[in-house]
Amino acid sequence: MANTIITAGQADTTTLAHVNVPPAQTWNYLRINDISLTVPEPHFVGDVYARLPRLFDAVECGVGDEALTWITRAAGDATYLEVKAGEVREEPIYVDIDASCCDVADTGVLVRTGASATIVTCAHGAAADATSASLLRVIAERDAQVKIVEVVACDEGQQHLDAVGIEAAEGARIEMRQYALGGAKVACGLCCNLAGNSARFTLDSRYQAAGTDVLDINHVVRQRGRSTRCDIVTTGILADSARKTMRETIDLIHGAKFAEGSEIETVLVTGDEVVNKTLPVILCDEEDVAGNHGASIGAISPEQLSFLAARGLSEEAAEQLFSRALFDDALIHATCPAAREAVLVRASEVLGEETSRDMAEVLGIDAKEA
Amino acid sequence: MAEATENTRKKSQVADVDRSLYDFKMSEEGYERYADGLSTDIVRAISEKKDEPEWMLEMRLKALAVYEEMEMPANWGPSIERLDLNHISAYVSPKTKQADSWDDVPEDIKNTFERLGIPEAERESLAGVGAQYDSEIVYHNMRAEVADQGVIYTTIEDALHDPELEPIVHEYFGKLIPMRDHKFAALHYAVWSGGSFVYVPEGITLPYPLQSYFRLNAQGAGQFEHTLIIVEPGADLHFIEGCSAPKYYEANLHAGAVELYVKDHAKLRYSTIENWSKNMFNLNTKRATVGADSIMEWVSGSFGSHVSYLYPTTYLQGARSSCEFTGITFAGATQDLDTGCKVILNGPDTTASVDTKSISKDGGINTFRSSVIVGRRADRARATVSCASLMLDDISRSDTIPAMDVRNGSASVGHEATIGRISDDTILYLMSRGCSEGEARTMVVNGEGAIG
Amino acid sequence: MRDMQERGIMSDQLLTISGLSAGTEDKPILHDISLSVGAGETHVLMGPNGAGKSTLGHVIMGDPVFQVSSGSITFDGADVTELGPDKRSLAGIFLSYQAPVEVPGVPLYSFLRTICQMRPELKTTARKFRTRVGEIAEQLEIDQNFLTRELNVGFSGGEKKKIEMMQLLLLRPKLAILDETDSGLDVDALSIVSRGIEAYRQECDGALLMITHNTRILERLTVDRTHVMVRGNLVAEGPASLIDDIDAHGFARFEEALPQKAEA
Repeated sequence: MANTIITAGQADTTTLAHVNVPPAQTWNYLRINDISLTVPEPHFVGDVYARLPRLFDAVECGVGDEALTWITRAAGDATYLEVKAGEVREEPIYVDIDASCCDVADTGVLVRTGASATIVTCAHGAAADATSASLLRVIAERDAQVKIVEVVACDEGQQHLDAVGIEAAEGARIEMRQYALGGAKVACGLCCNLAGNSARFTLDSRYQAAGTDVLDINHVVRQRGRSTRCDIVTTGILADSARKTMRETIDLIHGAKFAEGSEIETVLVTGDEVVNKTLPVILCDEEDVAGNHGASIGAISPEQLSFLAARGLSEEAAEQLFSRALFDDALIHATCPAAREAVLVRASEVLGEETSRDMAEVLGIDAKEA
Repeated sequence: MAEATENTRKKSQVADVDRSLYDFKMSEEGYERYADGLSTDIVRAISEKKDEPEWMLEMRLKALAVYEEMEMPANWGPSIERLDLNHISAYVSPKTKQADSWDDVPEDIKNTFERLGIPEAERESLAGVGAQYDSEIVYHNMRAEVADQGVIYTTIEDALHDPELEPIVHEYFGKLIPMRDHKFAALHYAVWSGGSFVYVPEGITLPYPLQSYFRLNAQGAGQFEHTLIIVEPGADLHFIEGCSAPKYYEANLHAGAVELYVKDHAKLRYSTIENWSKNMFNLNTKRATVGADSIMEWVSGSFGSHVSYLYPTTYLQGARSSCEFTGITFAGATQDLDTGCKVILNGPDTTASVDTKSISKDGGINTFRSSVIVGRRADRARATVSCASLMLDDISRSDTIPAMDVRNGSASVGHEATIGRISDDTILYLMSRGCSEGEARTMVVNGEGAIG
Repeated sequence: MRDMQERGIMSDQLLTISGLSAGTEDKPILHDISLSVGAGETHVLMGPNGAGKSTLGHVIMGDPVFQVSSGSITFDGADVTELGPDKRSLAGIFLSYQAPVEVPGVPLYSFLRTICQMRPELKTTARKFRTRVGEIAEQLEIDQNFLTRELNVGFSGGEKKKIEMMQLLLLRPKLAILDETDSGLDVDALSIVSRGIEAYRQECDGALLMITHNTRILERLTVDRTHVMVRGNLVAEGPASLIDDIDAHGFARFEEALPQKAEA
């Protein structure tokens, strides 16, 4: 989809020192304020005239300017799509990032007034010690309805950078699901700007990291409009010696009267060497608002455990259920065949081929279709 | 529109913290005041005046060098731009010797503490009292029956002159809070003066609290007291500190340090009511290390200061040790208070519970900042953090920035934060019980303000 | 155990509870409970609110919240008193929760498939499983899209109960303990749940222990035995007709009678 300028195994690299920086930071010695990535230096291969309309420049993405600049340079080319006012687009807009070709995709989608669209991005595959990236910027005009499914299903050897920026005008509804299913070093940055009154953002973010995976997630929601709403639910599983950092910021900006923002994170830790960092921030500059945050980190809750046990599941079986459920959920919501195929490939790496096949059959996904 | 006016009127019923009690100043005439700013000469002069052991002078000089080399964090925290160390005197001393009877305390200082109710509190409910005026302790006293049990409550300066206590101070002083901890910890070690040394021997439970009161009267001055408390195995102490200062139009600085050593099977409760005036930069550092089966309790009330950086820190080192932190912060006009706490759970089966409330009003800024770290060896450690922030108008600000770093698979950490207005349900409920809306709001705010 | 074998009680009973006392760490709840349920029988456990009926259900299931201080529970010929709830479930005990727990992150499909795959007798191909789940969903009027939703998350009270019935029909346990399955249901949901219970009785020939303080759901069932619990004690046992008696007179006479029983 995107014009690829990076080639695998390139010697020249550059370091992005501060990726995924949250709006409010804290003690530097905690090493929770950012992540740094070493990425290939983009090579000049010729003049590229394609670029997104200027209005996309104003869209804030959670990865930060440094990373944003690198992605746009590395992508070289950009893809612009527009969903016309009032159009109900059934067919999902699909962005495929094939890591084995070191894809870097730069996509801008303008969803016009009252239109509705589904966007699926999926990074998958592997090339040893290579970097892939995706930048998706979405502008949702008044009363637009946008569903976004972001899947990162890279192989253990892969480094991937995934940036999403969303601008939501009055009455716009953004429903997003994010699945971070694998990759050696994955950074996902997301920012949603609820600019218009009554704009709404729901995010269901799920992740799993195992082995020596490094996963770094930054969620930023700017609530500017009155009566805006934001609901973020994050569920994750960490095994072995995976390292995860999750930053979540709800920014209730002056003027966002009657806005409500909530974030909930549940992390299931099954490994003894896991490093699990969380920075859930609520910034509040307005009076008649409500911000809530809840987190529970550790094992499955005693109530859930005893309920699942009463249905025959030992603690270990319950943990396996949560792993499978994560992939099942990705299959259910990533409605594009190619994305499903990528999830199944990743599932067979993590859960085994038999389980992967069983998942496809139980959910009625035709293997041939995928 | 009429509704909005009504609303404003009702909200104004939530009163400011009454500062009239603290806001009086006494003359500085005849005081010993060192030149503003910092230099090795000033550091040497302080050390010389205190007739300190050589190691302390060396520590001071080293700390000064560290202070000059370190930077404030550029990416977080309230601005301290208006704090100019060149206009702060590091040492101001009233011309008096330390007294152990109120009758011997100079009249103006005595008046100060009497207006603050200190001697009265001592008679009624304390085991001992210390009072610091600017840079020096002016009064120290403890009940005879407590002293007879071997409890020591004195100044660090006096302890350094006692051949039995000097090695203890040497062993513990500056070990828990390293001078490189942050820029103002380094400053503290360079110019510290006053504070308390408390030693509770093994197995002793103090029947009443000890209380130290800190008063910064001089304009454009800094207070850098050092509190060192050692609670030996099986001992139990409640220590209270109070702080206040009159309001000036020049910046004052408080950069104290509190080092608390709680040994095995022991308990320490450390309560602070901080009510510095609104020209105060409060950059205080407090830290406790807790042994096996021991309990550390913090009660921290922050009402004053222009800028605060305050995060009492607890290291739960021993197995089954626990920490309870209760904090309340009130930020009104011109205040930017960055407060919270840090807990490091290192021992197995350790537990920590953090409960904080904050209120922002009249443009005040509150930041709750915390970190909970669960170490690799802290099997089955449990921590809960709960913070509630209340905004009383739309020109104030309230941020919640809690960090968690969990490195043990069997640990569980829970966190919940709420921010925003008083819930309509609560107001409605109270109104249904016969309160007016204004009364209901006041009741909720006072409920938040009550320290458990 | 040996006592019972000698007395020959063992053979025809599916569940035998003898001399069971249990409670939470700080509070005893059940006192010296003895009760037997034969294979395929339908028993009803009644009693006023707070009598300890639900506790008994959870103790039979092995809920770790409760501790057994004395007595034993024998199921299908084996002493299960010391077994964890997962083992008891695999042995054929099912407890329908009064308030089923929400499990965010777990689609219903993943959950149902996993609990079936745990049981050798229910292992089947994905296709057959899918078909079976579809049949049950139709039987219980459960919309297909529930299967891809997270388990119990955002489900109404009635929907949660239907999903419990779905698991009952899928797992085909030997003994089903239904804890206040009728509470909080509207007329339509109640009739669907009743249909589910009937289907379980017919298709699986399983035993049933109904915990309730409401007799409405019992109208469609043939009850073999009725037990009455008051303040943690079983105070009466009788035939189905006992239900009508309670319907007419309430629990007052059992409550009054309890002190004598406690003394005896």
